[in-house]
Amino acid sequence: MLKMSHLAKVYRTEVVETYALRDLSLNVREGEFVAVTGPSGSGKTTFLNVTGLLETPSSGQYLLDGEDVSQLGDDARSRIRNEKIGFIFQAFNLIPDLNVFDNIDVPLRYRRMAGSERKKRIGEALERVGLSARARHYPAELSGGQQQRVAIARALAGSPRLLLADEPTGNLDTQMARGVMELLEGIHRDGATIVMVTHDPELAVRAQRNVHIIDGQVVDLSEEPRFHGVHPAHAQTAA
Amino acid sequence: MHIRPILSAMRRNKVGAFLIALQMALTLAILCNSLFIIEQRLTLMARASGVDEDNVFVLTNQWVGTPDDLNARIATDLAGIRSLPGVVDAYPSNSYPLRGGGWSDGVMLADHQVHPNTHTTLYFADEHALNTLGVKLLAGRNFSPDEIGSRAENSLGHPPVVIVTKALADKMFPDGSALGKTIYVEDGPTTITGIVEKLQTPWVSNSFGEKFPENSMLEPYHYMVSGYHYVVRAQPGQLDAVMKQVQKKLLEINRARVMVKVMTYAEVRAEAYRNYRGLAIILGVVCTSLLAVTAFGIVGLTSFWVTQRRRQIGVRRALGATRRAILFYFQTENVIIAAAGAAVGVALAVGLNLWMVTSFEMLRIGPAYVLVGAVAVMLLGQLAVLWPALRAASIPPALATRAA
Ligand SMILES: Nc1ncnc2c1ncn2[C@@H]1O[C@H](COP(=O)(O)OP(=O)(O)OP(=O)(O)O)[C@@H](O)[C@H]1O
Ligand SMILES: [Mg+2]
Repeated sequence: MLKMSHLAKVYRTEVVETYALRDLSLNVREGEFVAVTGPSGSGKTTFLNVTGLLETPSSGQYLLDGEDVSQLGDDARSRIRNEKIGFIFQAFNLIPDLNVFDNIDVPLRYRRMAGSERKKRIGEALERVGLSARARHYPAELSGGQQQRVAIARALAGSPRLLLADEPTGNLDTQMARGVMELLEGIHRDGATIVMVTHDPELAVRAQRNVHIIDGQVVDLSEEPRFHGVHPAHAQTAA
Repeated sequence: MHIRPILSAMRRNKVGAFLIALQMALTLAILCNSLFIIEQRLTLMARASGVDEDNVFVLTNQWVGTPDDLNARIATDLAGIRSLPGVVDAYPSNSYPLRGGGWSDGVMLADHQVHPNTHTTLYFADEHALNTLGVKLLAGRNFSPDEIGSRAENSLGHPPVVIVTKALADKMFPDGSALGKTIYVEDGPTTITGIVEKLQTPWVSNSFGEKFPENSMLEPYHYMVSGYHYVVRAQPGQLDAVMKQVQKKLLEINRARVMVKVMTYAEVRAEAYRNYRGLAIILGVVCTSLLAVTAFGIVGLTSFWVTQRRRQIGVRRALGATRRAILFYFQTENVIIAAAGAAVGVALAVGLNLWMVTSFEMLRIGPAYVLVGAVAVMLLGQLAVLWPALRAASIPPALATRAA
C-alpha cells in the first residue's frame, strides 16, 4: 500500500539545514500493522507526517495505492487525507469548542457526507470505543483515556484504509494505554493498515512488524520481531 | 453548510462575538442615519435658486457717511455699470437669493387678517431685475420704469404692484388665478402684476426659510440707504473680466465708497450652504472612522481567535479540511455575527431615526438607506475578516503533530 523510495525531508532555517529524513525507503503492505520506534529526534514524526501527507518530502518518491503522491497539490492531499487516512495523535487533538459528537463529525463533514450517513457512522464509532453515553460531552469533561478513544472514534468514523498514530498512548497510564492498544488491534483485524510510532517496547512487540528509525533512516527489523530497544551497532551496519 | 457546529463553537466564545455584533449594529444604525442626513443635505444643496448663477455676481456697496443724493448716485452707478461692454444688465437691491439675510413679511388675502396665509421674501427691484437675474416671466408683465419708487430707510412700503414667484402665487391662489389679484403685504393692498418661474429666498439653509423656500416677491423700489447690493449679469464667459471692470468703473464714478463684498454666485452658494457642507463632511468623517474602528475590531478579534485556534485549525487541516474550507469557516462565522448585528442594527437605525423625527423634525428614513447600511456592514465584515482568515488558511496541517 505504501512504497517509499529514497525519501528525504530537509528543514531549512536561516542558519541550519536539518535532515529529518535522509534516503528513507520502506514498503508497507495492505493490512500490515507496523510499529515505528527510534530515539527522540530521529525523524519518526516527520516520517509519519510525510506518510500521512501532512508534509511533502524534499526529494524521493512516495506511492500511495500506486499513485505518486510526493508532489501533489494541497487540495489533492487534503482530499486523500480525508478519505484514506485516519490520524491519532499523542495529544488527542480534540477540538475543545465542539462536543464529542461534533468532533467525530469534523472529517465526515469535510467529506460532504449526507447527514443521516454521518449520524449513523458517528453512532457506530462511539459504540465501538464504548463512549455512546458521552456524545454530548465536551473534551474537557473527559479523562485522557476517554479523549483518546474519542480521537480513535473520529479516525474510525471515516473508515480509513490507513491509520497513522503518533505515540497514541504517550499521554496515558498503562491501563488506559492497554485499552487503546486493544482498540487498535481490533481495527487492524478488521482490515485497516496501521502505522504506529511508539516509545513503548511492550506495545511495539504487539505489532506485526517493527521499523526502527535512526537519524532519518530506516532499519527494518521485521526479521527480529522480539527486538527490545535501541541497538546502535545493529543500526549502523544496516545503515 | 457547516453552520450548526460553527454556532456551537461560537457559543463558547460568546462575549467576543456579542461585542462585535453589537459594534456592527451601532455602526449600522449611525451609518445609515448619517447617510440619510447627508443625502438630504445634498438634495437641498442641489436645488436651483432661479438665478442664472454662472453669469451673475453681487457687489455690496457701502457709501462713506450718509449721502443725501442717494437717488442720483444709484442712477449714475447703474448707468455706468450697464454701459460697460460684457454687462447684460444690473439692478440694486436690499438682498438676493441665498444671501442669508433679507426682508420678509406675511402675505394675506384680506386686510387685517389675524394670521397671514403665508410668508414671503421682499426683494426690492426695478425693471432690470428680471433680465439681470435671468428669471423667466410666466405670466403678466415686468415693472415699467415709472413704477419704480424710492423707498426711505425703515419705512413701510406701499407698492402698487408686485411680481411674485409661482410658488407664492400658487400658495395664495391654488386655482392658478393669481395674476391681477389683490393681496395684502406690508399692511396694505397691492396687485400681482407678474408671475416668475422661480426665485429662492435668502434663507435656503436655515430653519427660518424652511417653510417658504421659493416664496419671493419683487417690490418696485430703489432703497435709499448707504449700504445695499448691486446684482450684475455678465455675458456668458465674461464674468471675471466684468467683475473687475465694474469695480474699476464704480471707483472712477465715485471713490467715497467701500465695496464690502464682491462675490460670484458660486461663492454666494458656497457661503449659503457652508453649514450643510460642514455637517455632511463631519458625518462623512464620523462614518468613515466608525467603519474603520469596526473593521479593526473585527480584524483584531478574528486574529485573536485564529491565534487561539491555531492547533485546532492544524487538526482540521490534518483531518482533510482544504485551505478554502478554513477560509470559509471564518467567513461563515463572520456572516453569522454580521447578520445578527445587522438585524439588531436595522432596529436601532429605525429607532434612532424615529427619535430624531420627534426631537428634531427629521424625515422618516427610507428602507433603502437601512438596506444599504446593512449591506455595507456585512461587506465590511467580510472585507475585515479576509486577512485573518487567510492567515488561518495558511496554517500547515503538520501543526497537528508538532507541539504547539
Ligand atoms: N518544522 C521543523 N523545522 C526545523 N526542524 C524540524 C522541524 N520539525 C522537526 N525538525 C527536526 O527534525 C528532526 C526530526 O524530528 P521529528 O519530530 O521527526 O523527531 P521524532 O523522531 O518524532 O522525535 P520525538 O521522538 O522526540 O517525537 C529533529 O531534529 C527536529 O528538530
Ligand atoms: Mg515525534
